Amino acid sequence: MRRYAGPVARNPILTTRVLLVCAAIGVATGIVGGIAGLLTPVVLAAIPFAYGLLLGAHVLPGIIAQEVLRLPLVAVLSHVMAAIVASAFNPAWAGRFIGTALLFGGIQEGVAALTRYRSWGAWRFFISAVVIGVLVAVVVFFAAHMSVLPLWAQIAYLALSVLGPVAWTAVGLGIGASLRRAGVARTTGGR
Amino acid sequence: MTTATFDPYARVEAPGRFLYALNPLAKLLAPLPAMLLLVFVRDLATPLAFLVIAYLVLLAGARLTARIALVLAVAIPGAALVLGLGMSVWTDASRVDTSVTVLQIGGWSLYGGALAVGMATGVRLAAIVSLALLAGLTTNGPDLVRATVQQLRVPYRIGYTALAAFRFVPRFGYELDVIRQAHRVRGAHGGRGPFAALARWWGYIVPLLAGAIRHAERVALAMDARAFGAHPDRTERHLVPWRVRDTVFVALFWILSAGILVALFPWTL
Amino acid sequence: MASTVSGAATVRQPGDTAPLLLAVRGVGISHEGAATPTPAAASFSVARGEVVLLLGPSGAGKSTLALALNGLIPHAVPASLSGTVLVDGLDTQHTPVATLSTRVGMVFQDPDAQLVTGTLLDEVAFGPENLRMPVDEVLSRSEDALRRVGLWDRRSENPDRLSGGGRQRLAIACALAMGSPLLVLDEPTANLDPQGIEEVYAALEELVAAGDRAIVLIEHNLDAAARITDRVVVLDHDGRTHADGTVDEVLRGRAEELHAMGVWLPVATLAALRLRAAGWALDPLPIDPDELRSALEAAGAPSSATVSVRKAGRIETSAPAAGADSRSSLLSEPLIRVRGLRTHRGRAEILHGVDLDVHAGEFVAIVGANGAGKTTLLQSIAGVVPIPRGQVTVAGTDIARTDLRTLSRRIGFVFQNPEHQFIAHTVFDELAHGLRQQHVPDEAVRARATDVLRRFGLDGKADVHPFLLSGGQKRRLSVGTALVTGAPVLALDEPTFGQDRARADELLSLLDSLRREGTTVLVVTHDMQLVTEYADRTIVVGDGRILRDAATHDVFADDAFLRTAGLRQPPLRRAFSGMTRHPQLAGVTRLADLPNPDPTATAAPTVTPAPTVTPEAAP
Ligand SMILES: Nc1ncnc2c1ncn2[C@@H]1O[C@H](COP(=O)(O)OP(=O)(O)OP(=O)(O)O)[C@@H](O)[C@H]1O
Ligand SMILES: Nc1ncnc2c1ncn2[C@@H]1O[C@H](COP(=O)(O)OP(=O)(O)OP(=O)(O)O)[C@@H](O)[C@H]1O
Ligand SMILES: [Mg+2]
Ligand SMILES: [Mg+2]
Repeated sequence: MRRYAGPVARNPILTTRVLLVCAAIGVATGIVGGIAGLLTPVVLAAIPFAYGLLLGAHVLPGIIAQEVLRLPLVAVLSHVMAAIVASAFNPAWAGRFIGTALLFGGIQEGVAALTRYRSWGAWRFFISAVVIGVLVAVVVFFAAHMSVLPLWAQIAYLALSVLGPVAWTAVGLGIGASLRRAGVARTTGGR
Repeated sequence: MTTATFDPYARVEAPGRFLYALNPLAKLLAPLPAMLLLVFVRDLATPLAFLVIAYLVLLAGARLTARIALVLAVAIPGAALVLGLGMSVWTDASRVDTSVTVLQIGGWSLYGGALAVGMATGVRLAAIVSLALLAGLTTNGPDLVRATVQQLRVPYRIGYTALAAFRFVPRFGYELDVIRQAHRVRGAHGGRGPFAALARWWGYIVPLLAGAIRHAERVALAMDARAFGAHPDRTERHLVPWRVRDTVFVALFWILSAGILVALFPWTL
Repeated sequence: MASTVSGAATVRQPGDTAPLLLAVRGVGISHEGAATPTPAAASFSVARGEVVLLLGPSGAGKSTLALALNGLIPHAVPASLSGTVLVDGLDTQHTPVATLSTRVGMVFQDPDAQLVTGTLLDEVAFGPENLRMPVDEVLSRSEDALRRVGLWDRRSENPDRLSGGGRQRLAIACALAMGSPLLVLDEPTANLDPQGIEEVYAALEELVAAGDRAIVLIEHNLDAAARITDRVVVLDHDGRTHADGTVDEVLRGRAEELHAMGVWLPVATLAALRLRAAGWALDPLPIDPDELRSALEAAGAPSSATVSVRKAGRIETSAPAAGADSRSSLLSEPLIRVRGLRTHRGRAEILHGVDLDVHAGEFVAIVGANGAGKTTLLQSIAGVVPIPRGQVTVAGTDIARTDLRTLSRRIGFVFQNPEHQFIAHTVFDELAHGLRQQHVPDEAVRARATDVLRRFGLDGKADVHPFLLSGGQKRRLSVGTALVTGAPVLALDEPTFGQDRARADELLSLLDSLRREGTTVLVVTHDMQLVTEYADRTIVVGDGRILRDAATHDVFADDAFLRTAGLRQPPLRRAFSGMTRHPQLAGVTRLADLPNPDPTATAAPTVTPAPTVTPEAAP
């Protein structure tokens, strides 16, 4: 009976605090993502091959969560939180939000899991960025019918699609480092 | 989008309108196959058919508020048109039917084939979006969360964290406002141009996130103090059941989707 | 009760039938990474039905201790705990928070940080639901809790729509619904207007009257809290229990000692201390205005002729202008001129046509209910929020047309939350930022920044990240950044929020001395006593309009008006206004009008006046 009432011991990783911090990171970066979302139709109409650069902004929640918390599952969680909240406010894109969240979060989580959540070097984050870039490139290629574009635009599109997540990952790492300096991530460091 | 005034918790009471009485998951699940297949469709007729269906279901099953009317009458057609035109302009002329010239500016011409391809893309994306609106416009956040907890067995701690996070949106938006004002009056990163703007935004992000994380930690303490997560499940006062009508709705929608796809057979690959 | 959490067996001493509700024994708490524990060694206990007030200077560890009372420390917060906390006989080190939550309910400072769901009823039901109670019990508990705080009729509304006081009452209801015999409240009224504070304390008073809950209260605003308190526990600067006893023993008996520690005391007590030192017979010391008045009515005036109470009204200083009433006699142009100001936020118009003149050297207080538009007004004047052209001029220039760099040289602005305004990575750079923008030479920057660091007690912190300072230190740094450039106008939004008495006094005497040298000071605050002490002139804002703009003395003379504006009279005014036996006291509203037993406290502030921060040369 007594052990049964022991919720703290039951789930040592995903404490309420970790869950809510992930949600907060998801929402705060979601505000940035929301701006990217508003730009999407404009970019798709004006310069469709640069879409990947914009879509790359959606890597932020996972990167910042991993860099700040350095725990398993936080990347996927913050992505999913960002997506759920974004969907409530902008229901038309719900499917896309959740799909992107699972895809991006899954890749970031997978790469971290491969190192058994021990290595948090920058290279690890960039590997997930490249994987995301390639995958996104292929999916959007079909969805937006990119094959009708001129060859140079297709190449530019592929390059930018990979560059987008990589660049945004660098931004995310920078933000994470600044947050650590400001003492925000202090309590979970070095675990 | 008026996120400031939009209340994600608001319950919509609309007796007689069937979409509100369905399980949120049914509304997500029913159009899902059609949405996925539409990604690979290239013709104009199929997306148009689905667009019409989505509109009919919405008009019949949702209460026509000003917001919904605006989305259906202006936002979606407008976006489809802009997108379609954009894609037509970018389409490689050597790959399309060039027998009809719609527009000619100097040495550049917009061909009928390009316009057809562009418009198909526009309508396709519009169809996908309107199908997503079946759930989107008629479900409130908490009910969706409850349905995922009750039917999909998502751990309730995650679901309720998302509920708490709805409150973060206006709060963080407001904080971002104040931070921008504060940095502005202190003359941080003045100047014009994209680089100054980037430097400015960089300056906002850390205080915003630091404040956000602190706030989240406080909310977490308040939730822990009220026994959140104490047990593997919790009492649910609001049940969002899966009923026969949900199954019927999903089945009907799937049959209809299959019918359209078979009848029009849009694949030439 | 609590059938679902019956698991944890209460550890009882043999023969001990009713264990103390709460026993804190030698508790020390170190936050992860902290060098020394705060609190260092706190000990006290709480019996059933008792109301205990926990006092101590800022940084003593009161909030930290509160988190330990229901096991959040060490279970949910990364901090280590030594000593023991026993709740109902359960050791918190070994009992999960969920089990303790049915014994200890918590109410925190920020009402927004305690909301999870979309309606009041769902919110109150959240806790019982987590305990897996049956639906009927959840509902009956929620109804009971909401009725006790007077919110049952609004149960289906979104909590966002409640006022600040309403949201805090909701938080109390949430804690009540857990069924806990002990409530812990950490500064529940810190952000509230006087009416909100009154509402919260009315709700608490009813609880106390019912006698079924014990309360541990951490509060800076003792004027409201002292009335419901049974016992007072005082922590010293390091967080050791310094005093523990009844209100009579501690608050009345050792008031001088507490005052010297920098702990807040009820204003009535502070006044009584001064009067007693001047020879008035006030024993026991009063702790609220009514007690002070009746004690004075009962006592004879001191025979000693050396003591005379200075007459109400501002002591004339060298300030160029003093008070609204002297405006007409001034030939000079007003420094700040506001005409028909309409400020919008998004699509909503927040200020609906405000007219206002402020002369150089005035100390103006802006007061009003939560959400009245005080912050918006202050920000409009300082050019923080965009406003239409031609509505605000400062020293003759239109704020809406001025570029920000010029503006920040004219007006130093202190935001409600200091974290919002920090832009540099070290405390030093934070102070230097404004100076560097004005191209002040490096040595001068260093000299002036160092000077401000010293005066604000931030000496060792030059290289620390601003976010890592304590709340009080952050507030002082934000004030420092505003005045380091020597701007002729200072605009401060709730400058004493979260400070202990010593720090607040220090900050205000600094502002007062700046004003005496000609700086114009605008302050938004909920502290009516502070307004009376320092402001020549008070502007009452309500619903985006100026309801009253007059000399402070006149504004507070109209009690009926104050109530309609959501305000209340400051405690001293309440104490002295009906005074019949001692007419010389009847007009007293400010502590400063009473004889000062401790001349070092205010006459010679530890912070020296400002000449060194005036810029030598404006480039
Ligand atoms: N999360 C934290 N991490 C590290 N140190 C902390 C944390 N919270 C508080 N502290 C430190 O612990 C000490 C006690 O802080 P606490 O907030 O308990 O003081 P307090 O008595 O409540 O003060 P106040 O009256 O200003 O609210 C301070 O020195 C503070 O800097
Ligand atoms: N950024 C914003 N967008 C929309 N409305 C706002 C914004 N900021 C403030 N408001 C609204 O303007 C009104 C006045 O707000 P303001 O912050 O000036 O009040 P205040 O008097 O300072 O209150 P408090 O005592 O709580 O600080 C409030 O009703 C508030 O909800
Ligand atoms: Mg505190
Ligand atoms: Mg304010």
